[in-house]
Amino acid sequence: MVGWFAGHPAEPINGVAVSDLYPLAVGPPEKPWPLPPGAIHPESLRDQLAELRLHPSEVGPDAILPFVPQAAKVDQEKDKGLAIVAQLLAENCCIHNVATWILETQPWDLLAVYYNGIDHFSHGFMAYHPPRMDGLPEETFEIYKDVVAGTYRFHDMMLHTLLELAGPEATVILCSDHGFHSDHLRPRGIPDEPAGPAVQHREFGVICMKGPHLKQDERIYGATLLDITPTVLTLFGLPVGDDMDGRVLVQAFQETPPIERIPSWEQVPGECGMHPPDLRVDPESAQAVLNQFAALGYIAPTDDQKKAAASAVREAKYNLARVYMDKGQPQLALPLLEELTAEQPDQARFAQHLAQCYFGLRRVADAKRILEDLMSRPDTPAGPKRGAEGEPRPPAPTEALNRSAALANPERASNAAEAQQTPVAGPWANWLMGVIHFEEGKMEEALECLLQAEQSNPRLPELHLRIGQTYLRLRRNKEAERAFCKALDIDGDSAEAHMGLAVVSLRRQDDERAVEEALLAVSLKHFLPLGHFYLGVSLARLGHFHRAGLAFETAVTMAPSFLSAHRWLVMINNRPGGDPAKAAEHRRLISDVLQSRKGARNP
Amino acid sequence: MITVVSGLPRAGTSLMMQMLSAGGLTLLSDGQRAADANNPRGYFEWEPIKALPRNPACIAEAEGKVVKVISTLLLSLPAGFSYKVVFMERPLAEVVASQAAMLQKLGTQGAALPPRALEAALESHLKQVKAALRQRPEISVCWLEHHQVLLDPEAAAATVQKFLGVPLDLAAMSAQVDPALYRQRLPAKG
Repeated sequence: MVGWFAGHPAEPINGVAVSDLYPLAVGPPEKPWPLPPGAIHPESLRDQLAELRLHPSEVGPDAILPFVPQAAKVDQEKDKGLAIVAQLLAENCCIHNVATWILETQPWDLLAVYYNGIDHFSHGFMAYHPPRMDGLPEETFEIYKDVVAGTYRFHDMMLHTLLELAGPEATVILCSDHGFHSDHLRPRGIPDEPAGPAVQHREFGVICMKGPHLKQDERIYGATLLDITPTVLTLFGLPVGDDMDGRVLVQAFQETPPIERIPSWEQVPGECGMHPPDLRVDPESAQAVLNQFAALGYIAPTDDQKKAAASAVREAKYNLARVYMDKGQPQLALPLLEELTAEQPDQARFAQHLAQCYFGLRRVADAKRILEDLMSRPDTPAGPKRGAEGEPRPPAPTEALNRSAALANPERASNAAEAQQTPVAGPWANWLMGVIHFEEGKMEEALECLLQAEQSNPRLPELHLRIGQTYLRLRRNKEAERAFCKALDIDGDSAEAHMGLAVVSLRRQDDERAVEEALLAVSLKHFLPLGHFYLGVSLARLGHFHRAGLAFETAVTMAPSFLSAHRWLVMINNRPGGDPAKAAEHRRLISDVLQSRKGARNP
Repeated sequence: MITVVSGLPRAGTSLMMQMLSAGGLTLLSDGQRAADANNPRGYFEWEPIKALPRNPACIAEAEGKVVKVISTLLLSLPAGFSYKVVFMERPLAEVVASQAAMLQKLGTQGAALPPRALEAALESHLKQVKAALRQRPEISVCWLEHHQVLLDPEAAAATVQKFLGVPLDLAAMSAQVDPALYRQRLPAKG
């Protein structure tokens, strides 16, 4: 395991583990550069691996010029761009050196390496990538416009080496945890909150696989990060845990692999490479000890460190609450969000999520109370830092980069901690109020709130989707179409917008266009039961009953209680040439779903 | 070799520094933190060590000397040196009471936790420090009870001498112990 995000201290695995603090240079080059304790496992490799590091001061002009051909024009007293390039290059070379050293000298059966270069270079320099963004001076654009392209070339070269060393028999999975906006969707500023730089991320990451038992030139649809572990376990012939949320990416295999299952790996006794229990730290308790020692005068954390430590505790709670919300467990998120909101009532993001949480718990009055309070606050900027004329400006290289890196390593935090003090309301309160009205069936009120949110920020594709859905419910198809098209203008990869256009087309009896839009939707996002459903409806209308049946079956596989899809399957299979047994099966499933819904209503 | 005196704040680390100085070892201390009502004989601290996580290389100055490194900073001792750590232990209830008294005199505010919760946090902190030290072969540790030092200073001095492997003036070391300064004492049991 090499360089894993938030992977310090290195875990005592049966192999080599190198933490993400390993490559970080501290101090000037003439000073010793000791490895932080816990950066290497096993400890016996410490000295050997310390030698493989590259200090940023060792990165010379020859290495910088492919990234910044006009480096000579940079006034390094004022502009730290070249230092950042050197630092990121050095860090990624450190990681690459260890990875290649392992491949060349150690017996290995799995090598997992995290290169942060593409992410960090992009946070620093994507704003300079062509075409030039509005507000960016021509001169600085010219200087840094090649950095991102150079980064990809650099990573391709490293990948080439890795593939050569791994050999043709190795199975290789290349994946990213997110993409990066490189086009007109690049944000014109970074919101003033700890996870602010994430607005630069594109939802879709990348996954590529190669190996002896894998298909070639086959597209994988709907893969998520959660699928990586089950897939790797299957590649090793190991069972997948029933408690794992992901699935095995079977469509990548030449032949469907046998998939063994166990209830949970958590219940399997034996060594699992985790730290001993005493080394696992509760951040809140650790923070209390730190505060106590500092107050007694025995340690001297800097203000930034104090803020970063307090922020780490707060953000951990916030992130946990968000995970509970994403998992559909608002009851577990509630105490965390109530605590955060009480602690920092000015933080609009805490209040927004609390409102969302109340809404998830059907406490609509509480949700509305919070949203009304948010909407009554003075109109604050939506977050991006602004230039002299008040216009949002593209982020400077250090801005997003520092704050992105601070998410992984609080030691690097410069302005991340203080950034959270800014109250940000933006369009979100109106947006959520609109969603609440929508769910309550009050479409006119929903539309009014959503259109107000649009006035605050017209560049949010998801907002236009919700506006489009509201128009659909109001049977205002023309406006719905316009809203979905707006969403696509902003983000051409919006599966939901294509799905919305499929619905509009179905209503207009334009079934061919509906097929086209629904196909686009499910190819962009495979796990989209409604998308498959509308594809089925449009195909059935065109008389393609077999293909329609497949689409409906996909929809019910993803959403087993999808009654309309089951009903279509009954109808299709009862047609001449259909499968009456299947029709009976879907009729039975409809009955089961209705029974269980009835049971839920009258427990 | 770097000799380190460590432990929780108010666990007897200043007393041990005093003893080692009397025993004949050279302390790395700058006297920036002067003696006060909390530590009438002084703290024997070296200011730069407080920023050890940011500047781990500073430890090189402690080569051949004794330096006080508070428990939480032990985790930041860089590799590449050999350390002998005399770690002072004291019942956590006493530590918490003594820290509270010190905070009151300093007029500062510590962790916003009730005493029992702070004890639990310190206990978990000590477990973490001990687990981390077990993984550092270059750091050897002598665990010494503050109570034992007060009850039998000669034996404690002898234990330290044996651990450090250097001749020390044991009589001078034990003469440093003044039970009158043992103020945050737990009530006797029974």
